[in-house]
Amino acid sequence: MQEGVVLTTVDNLFNWGRKNSLWPMTFGLACCAIEMMATGASKHDLERFGCGAFMATPRRADLMIVAGTVTLKMATRLKTLYEQMAEPKYVISMGSCSNKGGPYWQHGYHVLKGVDEVVPVDVYVPGCPPRPEALIEGLMVLQKKIANERILTNKWVKRA
Amino acid sequence: MHNEIAELINSKLPEAKATVTNPEVGDNSIVVEAESIKAVCKLLKKNKEYSFNSLQVISGVDYTDHIEVNYFLNNLDLKAPRQLQLKTKLEDRINPTLDSVTSIWKAADWQERECFDMLGVTFKGHPDPRRILCPDDWTGFPLRRDYMAPKVYNGMEVFPESKMNTADREFKVRQKMIEKAAKAAASEAEGEE
Repeated sequence: MQEGVVLTTVDNLFNWGRKNSLWPMTFGLACCAIEMMATGASKHDLERFGCGAFMATPRRADLMIVAGTVTLKMATRLKTLYEQMAEPKYVISMGSCSNKGGPYWQHGYHVLKGVDEVVPVDVYVPGCPPRPEALIEGLMVLQKKIANERILTNKWVKRA
Repeated sequence: MHNEIAELINSKLPEAKATVTNPEVGDNSIVVEAESIKAVCKLLKKNKEYSFNSLQVISGVDYTDHIEVNYFLNNLDLKAPRQLQLKTKLEDRINPTLDSVTSIWKAADWQERECFDMLGVTFKGHPDPRRILCPDDWTGFPLRRDYMAPKVYNGMEVFPESKMNTADREFKVRQKMIEKAAKAAASEAEGEE
C-alpha cells in the first residue's frame, strides 16, 4: 500500500500541470511570427516543453506569444484577444517591436511603444527577431515563473 | 517611345497637354493634366499599338507645394513588353481630387485607396472609398509633409514620455508642433461654436 503513495503539495501539482501544458495561441503579427513558427517546427520542436499545441482560439489558450510589431490598429484587437483568454493566462513579448516599439520607437506614428501598454507581460524576449533558442529560453523562464507560483497568493485566485 | 506616346495623346486629347520629362537621373515619364487622366488612361489601354493592359502601381508624392500622382503602366505582351510612367500634378494640396481609373483597370481599386489613405487624394467614382491601411477612425494623412501624429489614439498614448528619448532634438520639435496643432484645432472648434 505504502509503495503506491506519492506526497506533494497542491501548489506543486497545479504548477507542474500548468507549466508543462502551456498552450499558445496561433497568433503572429510580423516577421517574429516566422521565427515562432520555426520554433514550433521539427528542428527546434516546442512540443518538448508541452508548448507545441498552437490553439486556433483564445478561449483554449494559456499563453499569448506577441510575435511582431503591434500597430495601434492591432493593439485594440490584441487587447480583445487577451481578454477572451481563460485564466490563468500568460504573455510573452517576443522581439524588439513588441518589447518597446523596435525601429518605430522614436518616430513611428502608427506603432504601439511596447505591448505592455495594453496587456501585462510576463517575459520579454529581446532580439530582432529572436532566434528560436531565445524564444525557447523565454518559455523556460516563464515555466520557472509558473513553478514558483503560490495558489493562495496567486493573482488569478485573488481576483476570483 | 515616350515622344510617340505623347504625340498620340496630344493628337487624340489636346486638352491633356502631354509633355515628356527628361530627368538627368531616372526614367523618362509623361506628364498630363489632372482633369484628363481618365481619358488618357483609357486611350493608352485601348490603343492597339501600345495597349497598356496592366496597371502596376499608383503612388503619390507630396512636394509641399503640390501633390503628384504617378501611374506605372505595363504592357505584358511578351513580344513587345513596355513600361510607362504617367504623372499628373495636383495643384490643390488641401483637397486634391482626381478621377478614378477603377473602371479601366480593376487593380486600381486598392492602389487608389492607399493613395487616399496616405495622402488624402480623393478619387471621384471610386466604388469603395475607404482607408486601407490606417484604422477607419484615423485622422490625417500620414505621408503628407505637414502630418502630425495624434498624441492619443483610442486611449493609447502614441508617444509615452517615459519610453521616449526626450533629449532627441526631433522629439522636442515634434512635441512643439503637436501642441501647436492642438491649440489651432481648439481655437478652430471655439470659432465654430
